[in-house]
Amino acid sequence: MPSLLITGGRVIDPASGLDKPADIAIADGIVVAIGPNLDRGHADRVIDAEGCIVTPGLIDPHVHLREPGREEAETIATGTAAAVMGGFTTVCCMPNTTPAIDDDSVVEFIFRQTELAGKCRVVPVGAVSKGRKGEELAEIGLMARAGAVGFSDDGDCVASAGLMLRALQYIKPTGLALMQHCQEMTLTRGAAMHAGTVSTRLGLGGWPRVAEEVVIERDVRLNRGVGCAYHVQHLSSGGSVEIVRRARAEKQPVTAEASPHHLLLTHDEVERHGGYWTGAKMNPPLRERDDIDAVLKGIADGTITVLATDHAPHTAESKALDFESAPFGIVGLETALALYIQALIESGATDWMRMIAMMTVEPARLCGFDRAKAGPGAGLGRLFVGGPGDATVIDPELRWTIEPAEFAGKCRNTPFAGRGVKGRAVATVVAGEVMFEMARV
Amino acid sequence: MPLKNASARAQAQAPAPTTPRAQADPVGRANAAPAEGGVGATPEGGAPGEVWTHRHLLGLGSLTAAELRALLETARSFADVSTRSIKKVPALRGKVVANLFFEDSTRTRISFTLAAQRLSADVVDLTGAGSSVSKGETIDDTAANIEAMGVDAVVVRHKSSGAAALVARAVRCAVINAGDGKHEHPTQGLLDIYTLAQAHGRLDTFDLSGLTVAIVGDVVSSRVARSGIAGMTALGARVVCVGPPTLAPRSLEALGRGGPGSCVVESDFMAVLPTVDAVNMLRIQFERHTGVESAGMAVKSSPAFPSLREYSQMYALTVERAARMKDGAIVMHPGPINRGVELAGEVADGARSVILKQVTNGLAVRMAALYMCVGRA
Repeated sequence: MPSLLITGGRVIDPASGLDKPADIAIADGIVVAIGPNLDRGHADRVIDAEGCIVTPGLIDPHVHLREPGREEAETIATGTAAAVMGGFTTVCCMPNTTPAIDDDSVVEFIFRQTELAGKCRVVPVGAVSKGRKGEELAEIGLMARAGAVGFSDDGDCVASAGLMLRALQYIKPTGLALMQHCQEMTLTRGAAMHAGTVSTRLGLGGWPRVAEEVVIERDVRLNRGVGCAYHVQHLSSGGSVEIVRRARAEKQPVTAEASPHHLLLTHDEVERHGGYWTGAKMNPPLRERDDIDAVLKGIADGTITVLATDHAPHTAESKALDFESAPFGIVGLETALALYIQALIESGATDWMRMIAMMTVEPARLCGFDRAKAGPGAGLGRLFVGGPGDATVIDPELRWTIEPAEFAGKCRNTPFAGRGVKGRAVATVVAGEVMFEMARV
Repeated sequence: MPLKNASARAQAQAPAPTTPRAQADPVGRANAAPAEGGVGATPEGGAPGEVWTHRHLLGLGSLTAAELRALLETARSFADVSTRSIKKVPALRGKVVANLFFEDSTRTRISFTLAAQRLSADVVDLTGAGSSVSKGETIDDTAANIEAMGVDAVVVRHKSSGAAALVARAVRCAVINAGDGKHEHPTQGLLDIYTLAQAHGRLDTFDLSGLTVAIVGDVVSSRVARSGIAGMTALGARVVCVGPPTLAPRSLEALGRGGPGSCVVESDFMAVLPTVDAVNMLRIQFERHTGVESAGMAVKSSPAFPSLREYSQMYALTVERAARMKDGAIVMHPGPINRGVELAGEVADGARSVILKQVTNGLAVRMAALYMCVGRA
């Protein structure tokens, strides 16, 4: 039986609180032993993790893999190659594809393409509404049965309060979360960036913080009598942190995710590179220093529990359009880990144990992996004997420069090109197979 | 209108010329030495030429007061070309200027065309309809293709903010922004400044200190306003934006470049009128109001205010309101005017109106812009 041994690393498993030097043995895709000085004689392959941190395989709860429909920007094969390069062993793909992931047949298509690609695990998030049109409920029950791990109309907000209430009620018994893209559309018509001094100067339509905040506030109210798991995607505004903090203090089942760019960049980026730089155009938009500080505080005090990438590939051609016409979004799978280390650990906002928790056991909980006895997600996000053999080996000291030409995904649209960072996944193991390994000196 | 001698202050900043005539390098020199490569030489005693180092004119917000004055002084030297019987100087002979208008405009395009022709440049027009623009080509591709045909300057107008900056990154030739979305329309801003200076005797220094200008109406949608605020406040004027809060939001105050208070927002038009030296009345740009779903130009409603009737009663410059203005205060409008909406016909044609002077000055300003960006390359 094919076996792998990861030796000499500092093993961090937030689910069990483990943080000590240990070896990990994986056989037939399952963890068979965790402990000191495991016998290396029987292993087919050994990864030397000396000086490295070994964690459960990282989980990204928010990516856009563009397949089906926009294969010129990304496919499940290229997107999962990007994922393993970034240390992720599981990614949750959003349903804003063409056709949308809004019934069980598309869910099954995602699983089939994932198997053909053979890189990392992909679990689909199904649409809340048919065709993501915000009118009628999609086939939520059938998608849940087929393996969807949550529901969202991501890219668009569930705008109608009536539909939102029905969706919360309908999703509740599945045990899965409604993941909301919080954007009040009537406040963001014609918007291209954060509403502030830069948008005023550049004559660009503004996307104000309140457009995010009113949706969260409304949804939390709607959910009060329902109690469905409700998750705020890519939170960007300081005011949103406050609303989520209050809801959690009232024991509402509310969670929220951050993205790396909202922790490191502000709206000033739009004026770089000759101005009107589409590399800094994203949704929700880059905001201001006060928002960054509030989101960091939300991470530090446990208000925000999940870290995502919002990996959103767009072709160079589409990003070369004028700012107002260019699409929103940046890629993130290859860079998120190093950027989170910079934003959270180097800044002192949190420690390794917590950061790894936010990239493993917390997103696993969001997607119901902790409760699943079987199925695509069962046991993910933790390291335990008998559990799935997914692990990420991180060299926390490795200094490197973000160079988009080296990305494994199809697109290069990142505002972080040329940025110096520290820390990188040097090996990514999915079900006992080494899907990515970096040659180290 | 007689030109005044440069003030001591202007001379201190920009030594050399003793009179505007001597400073009028492009005109004077063009007469004396019809240029081959000569146009590229350092202008004789040309203070403006020493200050100006840009390849493009994309906006006034990024220009220093000295650079703005260099452009305006050059415009002043060109102003009398239009009054001669032979309305042409050879400053840009052999150069090609392409008008790349992705958005409809007749008067601005004609103004740029005449300006280029008065400098002896050849002019080609590429307008949105019927060209590759309507076939899905991207702006930068279109511009690069035009440039590959040997063009020295592209004059760009586009409905998207930032379009001129995008073109400037795609080409090596000079780019003049003739209006990009809601961002800037720098030659309009310059001609407004020029006209203001002309009316208030500031053509010698283009120092606008002590002058207050009201920009009235749809300020938030206006590229004319953004250029005007940036340029006027940099030269010392105070700008008051007036309009309903949905069209003149407080956030505009951040655009002032003369420090706090140099750009302020007020909603009481009647109270503002007696305090100003000029009003710039803006057209309501229904086509730029989000939420208006129409391809046509006939739309006359906006989510930003309840009705045109209410708007006119609150913010139109009527004869009665114009009477509240100070002696010598002027009325400007970037055109086209909607008579009876933002501006009464009697006021548009009245003694305070400098609207046609603006059009005339537009030519000199555009000649200056083309000359500064192209003629000295």
